[in-house]
Amino acid sequence: MTTTVAQPLSVAPSRLRAILRGIRRFIRRAPFSAFWGIVAAMIVAMAIAAPAIAPYPPLKSDFRAMQKPPDEKHWFGTDQIGRDTLSRVIYGSRASLTVALGAVLCGTTLGALWGLACGYFGGRFDMASQRLIEFLQSFPDLILAMAIAMALGGGMTTVIVAIAVTRIPFGGRVIRAVVLSLKEMQYVEAARGIGASHRRLMFRHILPQCVAPYLILATTHLGVAIVIEASLGFLGVGIPPPTPTWGNMLADSLNAGLVPPWWLVLFPGAAITLTVLAFNLLGDGVRDMLDPRLRGSV
Amino acid sequence: MYSYIARRLVFGTLTVVGVSITVFVIMRILPGDPLVAIFGPEGFTKLTDKERAGYMAQLGLNDPLWLQYLSWVKSIAQGEFGHSFFRSESVADMILRRGPLTAEIALFSVVLSWLVGIPVAIVSALRPNSIADSVVRFLSILFLAVPGFWVGMLIVLALLFWFGYRAPLAGASLFSDPVANLQLVVGPAIVLGLGQAAYIARMGRSSLLEVIREDYVRTARAKGLNGRLVISLHALPNALLPVITLSGVLLGLVLAGSVPVERAFGTPGLGFAMFTAVSERDIFVMQNLVFLYAAVFVLLNILVDVTIAVLDPRIRLQ
Repeated sequence: MTTTVAQPLSVAPSRLRAILRGIRRFIRRAPFSAFWGIVAAMIVAMAIAAPAIAPYPPLKSDFRAMQKPPDEKHWFGTDQIGRDTLSRVIYGSRASLTVALGAVLCGTTLGALWGLACGYFGGRFDMASQRLIEFLQSFPDLILAMAIAMALGGGMTTVIVAIAVTRIPFGGRVIRAVVLSLKEMQYVEAARGIGASHRRLMFRHILPQCVAPYLILATTHLGVAIVIEASLGFLGVGIPPPTPTWGNMLADSLNAGLVPPWWLVLFPGAAITLTVLAFNLLGDGVRDMLDPRLRGSV
Repeated sequence: MYSYIARRLVFGTLTVVGVSITVFVIMRILPGDPLVAIFGPEGFTKLTDKERAGYMAQLGLNDPLWLQYLSWVKSIAQGEFGHSFFRSESVADMILRRGPLTAEIALFSVVLSWLVGIPVAIVSALRPNSIADSVVRFLSILFLAVPGFWVGMLIVLALLFWFGYRAPLAGASLFSDPVANLQLVVGPAIVLGLGQAAYIARMGRSSLLEVIREDYVRTARAKGLNGRLVISLHALPNALLPVITLSGVLLGLVLAGSVPVERAFGTPGLGFAMFTAVSERDIFVMQNLVFLYAAVFVLLNILVDVTIAVLDPRIRLQ
């Protein structure tokens, strides 16, 4: 009696401890990646706490300080209508991260589930799916995202959908390959032998083994999604202005006269680079820890 | 061998057909009125119903979708590619005028990526975990993260700032005006080439590391062959196969990357035309250009597959 009551209570702390132990192991084994993981966490924190950190509102024009180079009042200078570049860069992280997370959560996940179904069922369904995925993969990423974003008209949701579609084939391919090899494993055969349903086999026995490759894929795709989002913004099919995004800011800088002011070009681009670098290196570390065999394949 | 090529070609043709349907679905059938796309939401509300009907008829948008699709395929087959909504120039003329510049950029960037990526991969793989290797690995990770168009903007800015130099704005062909042409091509080719070189160096390193451990390389060493010969004649040819495949995949990166990079440099190539089409919301030009890019990508990848099959008997005989 007492044991059944105590069990649910003891589960939570031990799981927490396991996660903490995992993180500690990660820091010890891959200090370099752990450092970049902290940078990535800081960027996420910056996006969440943007209103508290940004020195000025991102849309407020100061007509006494238009297109001013960096000084002590505006650390990153101001743009052609007097908006503070530092505040806009800080707020820009919100758009970037929301789009990247949304696109990966929708696209990579949908692709992964599709890949799971393809690998598990095989046969005609798999054949047809592989052709479809091939069509999607025949487009260079950015071009496909541009076409979808343009057809659907601008907006945050549109951009998320456009980038998510470009992520589907990768999730599909990688997870399908994993599932194909898992399906032949003895424990799956044993479960099938004692009469487990398709749903139980897929979600209880095979899906948990796909978590590691999925995590690796997702962290890599975060970086890719951020670059695509910035490119869409730069080309004018991203989230429409005046919302500050890093891509929009770079596009704006080209309208600031014949010679774009250097601070309007340097800082948003540096923010993109730093963020992508942080997520990529974190992803490398996660991959090395979870599954070194996948090195170079994802 | 020939049956392999034939099979790839048949599959490629089917893929191109599938691609054309996908493009058509995206540009025409997804929710979103083509007139809204052309005139913008504000412009669309200002149109009277009669004007709307007139434009729909003029653009052939009232026909059933399958008829619209067939007439589009026909215009592609005739090499016309339809007309821009805003310009008199046909899309085919635009491709002929601007395409060579983008093709040149793509070609130069691929050559550059090999010239930089392969030596770097060899240096890196021969002394794994040395200082040179660490530097190379960090640089290649950095280059994977930097958006090419931003580097392009910085280059344009730096040249303008310190040297007062700007690449010519008008297009120029390699044959009529090589000097102006090269000035246009060099910037984008370097930016796109270095981006690819990072991938190639990474892939080349890991593939060379794998091959060096194989028995036949050890045998070559054991019979006393010069170390340099072992690498260049025995290890490298096999290690380069995955790199060639990767190079084909990277062409997608070049084709897509050329759009923002040409915008950053102001290069009057096909990528810039795509940017213009997007900002003018010219869905007809966009539809044709997207199809062209995807079709070129498919064809180039068939070319890469066939090259691999020629070079590697293991694949040819499968």
